[in-house]
Amino acid sequence: MRNILTIARKELSIYFTTPWGWIGGAAMAFISSFFFIFFLNSFKEVQDKAKIKGWANMDPDLAQMRNLTDGVIVNLFGWLLIVTLLIAPFLAMRLFAEERRQKTIELLFTVPVRTIEIVLGKYLGGVGAICATLGVTVVYPIILGIFGASQSGSALEWSTVALGYGALLLWGAVCMGVGMFISALTESQMLAAVLTLVVLLLWTVVGALAPSAEEPWRSAIRYVAFDTQLQNLMSGVLDLKAIVFFVSIILLSVLFTHRAVEAQRWT
Amino acid sequence: MIEVENLTKRYRDRVAIDALNFTVAKGEILGFLGPNGAGKSTTMKILTGFLPPTSGRAKIAGFDIFENPLEAKRRIGYLPETPPLYPEMSVRGYLAFVARLKGLGGAKVKSEIDRVCAAVGLVPEIDRLILNLSKGYRQRVGIAQALLGDPPLLILDEPTEGLDPKQRAEVLGMIKGLGGRHTVILSTHILPEVKAICEKVLIIHRGKIVAHDAIGAAAFEQGLDETFIRLTAE
Ligand SMILES: Nc1ncnc2c1ncn2[C@@H]1O[C@H](COP(=O)(O)OP(=O)(O)OP(=O)(O)O)[C@@H](O)[C@H]1O
Ligand SMILES: [Mg+2]
Repeated sequence: MRNILTIARKELSIYFTTPWGWIGGAAMAFISSFFFIFFLNSFKEVQDKAKIKGWANMDPDLAQMRNLTDGVIVNLFGWLLIVTLLIAPFLAMRLFAEERRQKTIELLFTVPVRTIEIVLGKYLGGVGAICATLGVTVVYPIILGIFGASQSGSALEWSTVALGYGALLLWGAVCMGVGMFISALTESQMLAAVLTLVVLLLWTVVGALAPSAEEPWRSAIRYVAFDTQLQNLMSGVLDLKAIVFFVSIILLSVLFTHRAVEAQRWT
Repeated sequence: MIEVENLTKRYRDRVAIDALNFTVAKGEILGFLGPNGAGKSTTMKILTGFLPPTSGRAKIAGFDIFENPLEAKRRIGYLPETPPLYPEMSVRGYLAFVARLKGLGGAKVKSEIDRVCAAVGLVPEIDRLILNLSKGYRQRVGIAQALLGDPPLLILDEPTEGLDPKQRAEVLGMIKGLGGRHTVILSTHILPEVKAICEKVLIIHRGKIVAHDAIGAAAFEQGLDETFIRLTAE
């Protein structure tokens, strides 16, 4: 356990001394503030209109705009998922690829530390970096909590916000797992990042193929697509099936990374 | 301290080392010689548990490096051919990281860092980023890293590579001082270094041992240079 933390700490400290950690954080801050302001504006517009016409006469699609949580935060979370998908590959790419290129892997494999501890330490460090990046965005719910208002007590439904962050972190951890595994397959960081991006994107949108497929493939494709599982999770209900699905992917990534790293020593 | 039995390593169809057999006694300083591509680094990578051998066995202090890797690795300080450094880290941060991985904790980490930095002349550079160090200083960080935790066996792959003459003499003096209490294997292409500090010499050529003897032995009667050239000719 101590070794895992030592390695995780080193990974985290390297994120904050190389540009990639900061670029990821800055990209997250920039893109999320853009969407935050966008959703806040449309929220205000709809609210103003509703004040004149009354909610009963509004388009039913706009019903989610009745409160800040659904109208702004949940919409924002949808975009944060995509930003996380785009940033994670660049945070994951160095994990093993760079160790092999710099030959520092030789250090890790000759100190009295187990391979699984190396993999877990690196994974934990990567997930820490994702958490830090997503941490930038907690200012938005806090701003709304302080300045927002609603008819019924608290401006935000904090349970929905917390659940949303839980889902975002889980999603970030999934992207990091896939990225770490791919990073273990190559010596080139850039190749690892691009491959991870492609895999994550395809895996997310593969659900679109479902309608044109035959059963039982249709349900199978729907089930494995990130998209379907995320929709369940992001709707604000605690979807145990989706959690089990994502946690299994994380466990498999760790296992496969361990296998890949061990196998390379034998070639 | 080291027992090697029929150790063989093939990279696909290239045989890097071919059925090596040798032992190194506790406290001995062994000079590990051979022309480029002879298999020195490959042997060291196997002894330190980085590479698995194709066949054969290696034991460190009685522990098989593949059956009992953690126990064996705890006893080894290793300087690979390319010093394994993280350019983004400071010398101190890097050494602290390695010290913790070697199982040192708390105040011991700091005192060990101070000790090894003094031993290799790193003290003035200790708070700089490794990125900004010259080649010789990076090599010193590599050596310092191997010395952390005072392991009983040191495996050093071309330790004096890139050092200035003064530092070279100092590092050699330090390695010589390790003898007796520590076992050392060092590879080098500089024969006078071997004469200066090694008690025993092992020469390999094309993955096979061509000489293994005390430096004063009959095998090296004609002088180490002559013998080396003769044994590794053709
Ligand atoms: N990763 C590898 N893949 C394929 N062949 C390799 C690999 N590493 C080493 N070799 C081959 O194994 C042989 C021994 O190499 P090794 O690096 O052990 O030599 P060395 O004695 O350390 O040489 P030098 O004095 O140049 O450092 C060489 O023929 C080399 O080409
Ligand atoms: Mg070599």
